[in-house]
Amino acid sequence: MTDTISPKKGVPVWAQVLIWGGLLGLLALVAIGLVRAQRPMLIVGAQVPDFTLPLYEGYDYGGAEEIALSDLRGRVVVVNFWASWCKPCEGEAADLEAAWRLYQPGGEVVFLGVDYVDTEPDARSYLAKFDITYPNGPDMGTEISRIFNRNLGVPETYFIDRSGILRYIKIGPFVSPEEIQAVIEAILLEG
Amino acid sequence: MLPEFGFGILVLTFLLSLFAAVAAALGHFHTSERWLESGRRAMLLTFPLLTLAAGVLVYLLVSGRFEVQYVYSVTSRTMPLYLKATALWGGQSGSILFWSWLMAAFATAVSLRKWDRDREFLPWVVVVTSLTLAFFLTLLVFFENPFTRWWQTPGGDFVAKMFAPAGATLVTPRDGEGLNPLLRHPGMIIHPPMLYLGFVAFVIPYAFAIAALVTGRTDDRWIRITRRWTLLAWLFLSLGLVLGMRWAYDVLGWGGYWGWDPVEIAALLPWLTGTPFLHSVMIEEKRGMLKQWNMFLIILTYSLVIFGTFLTRSGVLSSVHAFARSAIGPMFFAFIAVTSVVSVALLLHRWKDLKAEMQMNSLLSREAFFLLNNLLFMGVLIVCLWGVLFPLISEIVTGQKVTVGPPFYERAVGPLLGVLIALMGIAPLAAWGRSTLRTLGRAAWKPSIPALLTPVLLFALGMRNWIALVGFTLIAFVLFITLYEFWRGVRARMKSQGEGLFTALARLVSRNRRRYGGYLIHIAMVVMAIGILGIEVFQTATQQSLAVGESLDLAGYTVRYDSLAQFEHTDGRYVTRAVLSIFRDGEFLQEVYPRYDLYPDGQTMTIPGVRTTLADDLYVVLVNWENLSVFQAPFKVYHNPLINWLWIGSLIFILGYAVAAWPQKEQE
Repeated sequence: MTDTISPKKGVPVWAQVLIWGGLLGLLALVAIGLVRAQRPMLIVGAQVPDFTLPLYEGYDYGGAEEIALSDLRGRVVVVNFWASWCKPCEGEAADLEAAWRLYQPGGEVVFLGVDYVDTEPDARSYLAKFDITYPNGPDMGTEISRIFNRNLGVPETYFIDRSGILRYIKIGPFVSPEEIQAVIEAILLEG
Repeated sequence: MLPEFGFGILVLTFLLSLFAAVAAALGHFHTSERWLESGRRAMLLTFPLLTLAAGVLVYLLVSGRFEVQYVYSVTSRTMPLYLKATALWGGQSGSILFWSWLMAAFATAVSLRKWDRDREFLPWVVVVTSLTLAFFLTLLVFFENPFTRWWQTPGGDFVAKMFAPAGATLVTPRDGEGLNPLLRHPGMIIHPPMLYLGFVAFVIPYAFAIAALVTGRTDDRWIRITRRWTLLAWLFLSLGLVLGMRWAYDVLGWGGYWGWDPVEIAALLPWLTGTPFLHSVMIEEKRGMLKQWNMFLIILTYSLVIFGTFLTRSGVLSSVHAFARSAIGPMFFAFIAVTSVVSVALLLHRWKDLKAEMQMNSLLSREAFFLLNNLLFMGVLIVCLWGVLFPLISEIVTGQKVTVGPPFYERAVGPLLGVLIALMGIAPLAAWGRSTLRTLGRAAWKPSIPALLTPVLLFALGMRNWIALVGFTLIAFVLFITLYEFWRGVRARMKSQGEGLFTALARLVSRNRRRYGGYLIHIAMVVMAIGILGIEVFQTATQQSLAVGESLDLAGYTVRYDSLAQFEHTDGRYVTRAVLSIFRDGEFLQEVYPRYDLYPDGQTMTIPGVRTTLADDLYVVLVNWENLSVFQAPFKVYHNPLINWLWIGSLIFILGYAVAAWPQKEQE
C-alpha cells in the first residue's frame, strides 16, 4: 500500500478493467438477488406444488426413507422449516413435538420437519436434544424452501389441508402447543 | 384536506431539491454566483418544508386519522401519545419521510456554514445532498406515499390511494392495526433515529469528498471541514447499534444481544468502513498519505449506507427483520448503481492528483499501524459482505440457497477483532514517521507486566477457556497501556507545571482533546469487549418447569417460583406475570418479574425478569404461558456473566466522543 513518489501517473488500464469489472459484477449480483426477491410467494389458498423430503435415519415415515407431499393427500400437513443454528427454533421445538404427539395417534395430521441450510451432525444433535420424533429431513438444494419462496428466516411453518392447499402461514416461532393446535383444528373442521 | 396538503408539500420539496441540484451545477459551470445562491436557497427551503410535512403526518398520527393508510397501519386507539407520535418512523413510508427530514436538516446546517474559504466546494455539496434528498423524495412521492387514504370503490373493494378513484368514497376505519408490539419499547423509539442520524450524517463527508474530486481541490481541506460530521455520524451509528443490542436483550427474550442477522449486518457495514476512515484521515492530515484510500473509504461508506437501507427494505435478503417486500427495491438499486459508478469514475479520474506527498518509511510507525488497522477492518467487512452475499452467489452458481449462520461470523471475525484490540494498545505508542522496537518497548513494558499477569491470575482463579484467557489478556493490555498513557501525561504536567493530579488531568485532556478523547473511546471499546467475551464464552442456561415454591439452581444462584398473576392492561394487552425470588447461598437477593404480553392482534412479547449486577445478569424468561397454571410454570434462566460492561462501555464511549469532538477553536 505504500505509495511511491514517482512521476504522477493515472490508473493503468488493467487496473481500471479490474475495478469496473468488480463493481459491475457486484451490481449484477445485487440485481439478480433483487429480481429473485420479486418472485411470487406461495400464498394462502394456493395449491402447494409437490416436493419430496429425504428423511434422516430414525426419522422415517412408516419405514419410508423419503416422503412426498402427494403421498399425504387426505391428511393435514404441517411443514416446519428449522435449523440447528436457529435460536428462535429452540423456543418452539418442544411445542411442535407436543402437538405432534397429540395428533400422531389419530393419523389425520402429519408433521414434517424441514431442516434448512444445516449440517447433519448438528441437525441430529438438535433433534435428539429436543426429543423430536416426527419425520425430519434436510432441504436438499433448498428446493423445498424455494417452492414456498418466503424464507424470511427460520422458523417458518406452513399448514396444508387435505387437498394440498396452503391454509395458514406462521412466520417466527410458536409460543405454545395450543397455538399450533388451534390452527390444525380449524383446518380439520373445514374438512 | 390535511393529507392532500402534506402530499403537496412533498411534491413541492421534491421539485425544489431537483432545482437546487440543477441551479448549483449551473452556478459551477457558468461561474454564476446568482445561480449558485439560488440553488443554495432552494436547498435551505427543503428543511422547513419537510418539517411541515412531517408535522402534518405526526398530527394525523396523534389525532387518529385512520382514513390515512399509514396511520391505520402503525397506530391504534389504545396506544399512548408518545408511541403514536414516534410511529412516524414505525413503518416504511413514514421512516423514509423521517430520513428525508434528517437529510434536509443536515444539508441545511451545512449550507449555513461560512463558505468564504471553500466557496468552490459549495455547488457540489449542494448537488450531492440535494440529489440524495431528491432520491428519497422520489420514493415518497411516487412509491411510498405516507398520505394515501382508504377508499371504497363502487365495486365494494377497499383501495389505498392518494386521490379518490372514480365514484369511490372515503373510508375511515374505526381503529388502526397498531404498531408491532416488539417496537413498543423505549429502546425501539430511539434506536432507529440514531441509526438514521448516523446514516444520514455520512452523506455530508461524502458530499465534500465528491466536491473535492470534481473541483480538483484534493488537499486535506475536505477532511478538515467534515471531521466533526464524520465523528457525529460515527457516534450516532455506534449508539444506534448499541441501542439495537440493548433492545434485543431487553425485549426479545432469547438471552442474547446480537444474532448476525443480515439486517444487523447491514447496519454494521458502514460502521466497518467509517471506523477505519476516522483513523486513516488522521494519516492524511499529519502525513499527506493515503489520499486515494480515504476517498475510496468515504465513497464505500456512503454506498454501504444506501446499500444497507436498500437491503432492509427490498426483500433481497432472508431476515427475521421482516420488512414488507416493496416496489422501492429497483429504485434503490438504480440509485446505488448510479452513485457508485459516478463516484468510482471521479476517483479514477483524479487518481494521479491524489498521490501521497510522503512515503511510508517504517513498519513500526503510527501510520503503518493505522494502515494495518484499516486492513483488518476491511477483513471484517469482507467477511460480513461475504456472509450477506454468499447465499446469493451460491444460489446463482449452484442453484442452492445456503445461509451462513453465526458460527461462520464468530469464527472468521473473532481473530480479526483480537488483532484489532492488540493494535489499539500498540498503535497509540508509535510515533508518526518512524518508531523502533526500542521506543515501543520503553513505552510498553511497564503496563505490559500487569497485562501479562492477568491470564496467570485468571488461570489461578480457575479460568480454563483459552479464548477467554487470550481475550482478557488483550483487553488488559490495552487498558493498562492506555491508562498508563494518561498517567505519563499527567505525571509530566505535575512535574513540569507543579499542578495537582486533577488539574493536570483536566489540562492534559483539554490541551489534546482529540488524542485523549480517542483514548477514552479505546477504553470504552475494550470495556465493551469484556461484556461481549463474558456472554459469548461463559453464558449458561437451563430450562425447567417449576411448581410454586420449587426452585432451580444456576451458576450459584437459586431461583424460586413464588406466584403468578394474569390481568388485562389498560392498553388491551393481556399480561401474564410471574414473581420469582433469587437467592445466593441461602440469602435472599431480590424478586424478578418475567412476563408474557399477549396483544389483542395476537402478537406476543416475552419480557425477561433480570437481576443485574456488574458481575453478571440472571435473566429469567417465562417460556410458555398457556401451558402454565398458577401452580406450575416453565422458566428458562440464563446466566450472562459480565454483560453489563457492554452497556457501561457504551457510556464511556459517549464521554470519549464528547471529549474528542467538543467544539474548540478551529485549528488551521
